[in-house]
Amino acid sequence: MTASQLPQRSARVLTKRVSGREGFKINWWLTALMLVASLTVLLPLYFTVAMALKTPDQIGTGTGLAWPNPLNWENFAAAYVATNFPRAFMSTAFVTVFSVLGSLACSSLVAYAIARNWNHRFFRGAFVYLLSAMFIPFPVIILPLIKQTALLGLDNPAGVVFLHVLGGISFNALLYIAFVRSIPVELEESARMDGATTWQVFRKIIFPLLAPMNATVGIFAFLGSWNDFLLPQMMIADPALQTLPVVQMLFQGEFNTNYSLAFASYLMAMAPTLVVYILAQRWVLSGVMRGAVK
Amino acid sequence: MKAAVPATLPSRRSLFRVAGLAGAAALIPLSGCAGHAGQQNGVTTLRFMQNKPEVVNYFDQVIKDFEALNPDIRVIQDFNEGNFVPGLVRNDPPDVVTRGFAKATADFVKKGIFADLSDLPAASTIDPEMQELISSWGQYNGNEVSALPFSLAAAGVIYNRDIFDANGVAVPTTWDEFVAACETFKAAGITPIYGTFKDSWTLAQGMFDYVSGGSLDTAEFFTRINGKGADISAGAAESFTTNFGPALRQMLQLVSYSQNGASSKNYADGNAAFAKGQAAMYLQGPWALSQLVSANKDIRVGTFPLPVTNNPEETKARVNVDMALSITRNTPNMAAARRFVAYLLEPSVVNTYNEKNAAFSPLKDAPPVTNPQISGLDESVRKARYYQGAGTYFPPSVPLHNYIQSFVYSKNGDQFLAALDDEWRRVAERTAV
Repeated sequence: MTASQLPQRSARVLTKRVSGREGFKINWWLTALMLVASLTVLLPLYFTVAMALKTPDQIGTGTGLAWPNPLNWENFAAAYVATNFPRAFMSTAFVTVFSVLGSLACSSLVAYAIARNWNHRFFRGAFVYLLSAMFIPFPVIILPLIKQTALLGLDNPAGVVFLHVLGGISFNALLYIAFVRSIPVELEESARMDGATTWQVFRKIIFPLLAPMNATVGIFAFLGSWNDFLLPQMMIADPALQTLPVVQMLFQGEFNTNYSLAFASYLMAMAPTLVVYILAQRWVLSGVMRGAVK
Repeated sequence: MKAAVPATLPSRRSLFRVAGLAGAAALIPLSGCAGHAGQQNGVTTLRFMQNKPEVVNYFDQVIKDFEALNPDIRVIQDFNEGNFVPGLVRNDPPDVVTRGFAKATADFVKKGIFADLSDLPAASTIDPEMQELISSWGQYNGNEVSALPFSLAAAGVIYNRDIFDANGVAVPTTWDEFVAACETFKAAGITPIYGTFKDSWTLAQGMFDYVSGGSLDTAEFFTRINGKGADISAGAAESFTTNFGPALRQMLQLVSYSQNGASSKNYADGNAAFAKGQAAMYLQGPWALSQLVSANKDIRVGTFPLPVTNNPEETKARVNVDMALSITRNTPNMAAARRFVAYLLEPSVVNTYNEKNAAFSPLKDAPPVTNPQISGLDESVRKARYYQGAGTYFPPSVPLHNYIQSFVYSKNGDQFLAALDDEWRRVAERTAV
């Protein structure tokens, strides 16, 4: 929702307890509830930032709420060196970028094919087949997958990308199919009249119309692959190609955790997620059928 | 609410273009350094997987020194232990491995995953008593040496030297002296033992292992109970019920000397509180020492083995083989791997490592430990008065830690031991061949 929508909307929700300037009615109870709810995000974030700036002896003292004084910025430099941050970052970025692009491309194609061929039994069966994949817990199949990917020479970040794209198809296609169904077939028919091929219809008409769903799927794919731990940990054979979440285990021994370095490193790893969230939330929240039928 | 997003965002298309470029840029260095370990231009590449992320820097230095002496070998260090089993599945495991040696690693040994190291010259420099800690778990083909100890962690009672001195308490050598010391602290208003019962593993490795290990021969007990197999019952001479009763009474005594509210404290709380001098003693292993010092660099601590009987000669320390060196059986780089293992077991490497990490060297002629934090355990280790914790003998399918925790809360020893006997019998039934 955009800034201009919000006050009108809350005004509509509002029935009693009206106050504020003319035309703006503020529901103080709801606002208070939202403030409290926002603490669930802000408080852990505060701890993360504060922890990243503490020296080890500052960690042990007080409630943990106190802001560290003096600030210990060296944690970031130390974590940067210890994790070999640029290398791990590039590896994670590689996995993430291609997982997102792959998920968008593959899942939307699958969804388009299934949704527009719903009268064929084969495609309905394919839909059920893809859905059934969601019922198989990932840890059950991980060792066979490792064996398979090793035979195919995919025990590296490329294999992780492949599995992310593949593993995401069932859930993403489910999202896309529902969305494709809501797009009027008449749009496609008019394009066909003008001589468009199926690929052109998909590329020029359907895929742009899928924009809101692309944003949703893209965000899921981004978060899933950026934060993934288990798959890269077990699949990537060469430690030099390991991704950030796995490399960050460096700060956690069996009985020892280097909290300040760990949190400095987590913050650095979180930065891209924050940036993507700020950039992408507009697309997710913007009008669902924006520019669909003109 | 103000618009959080500036109006002039890059278009989706240009963002994708940037993302694509970033991805392509990522590909170039990746493809450059990809490629499997092995032989290349006469240089053998070894993969060395070690189990302690906190000592990566030490091994980086060791590897540097080794490579300088052996220009034909390159060693890649990997601390991602979670990749060991996948490595086996891929049939491409690391060449040299260190693992904490207990039941889980012993299972790998029994399956013949590691090569025989008995003919390695360095194997004869190792204290046979410490080698026995590994071979007691079973040897492949009955006589192979699948792992060589690299570091031995000895655990006992960590005590605050300043609090002991201020109250005129000497390090206790008998159970009665220990109880008297606890009473002295209690009378002075000092918590005798800091309990962290919320983390149930601290109860298992602490009081459960210490008291049982000090009062009975754990290795022998588990050999007997394993021999009994699925026939075990509470009344049998081999059962937990028959053997662990006295230990439980002493455990409850230790519980009574812990602070109020110990059940809501975890390991990290315990480290912070003990570092601040909130208790005289702490039932933890050497792994806690670095945490204590990092929380309070001025703390003066020592460690003594918990005396469980009134005969000081019987006092034993809890040990575990924190790192054991192995070479995977099918490595194509056997010769290079053996040279690396031999280098790691050179006194200058292995002794320095253990000195730096508050652990004991496995070499026969290791110098005596001078680190005041653990020197109190030196005699026990040198005279081989030690045991591996009873808790480490349990299969992971028995939730031992939770049983111990509920015993500490309910104080119902009979129920606890009967449950252990039941669990043990059920596992034996399931795994019987």
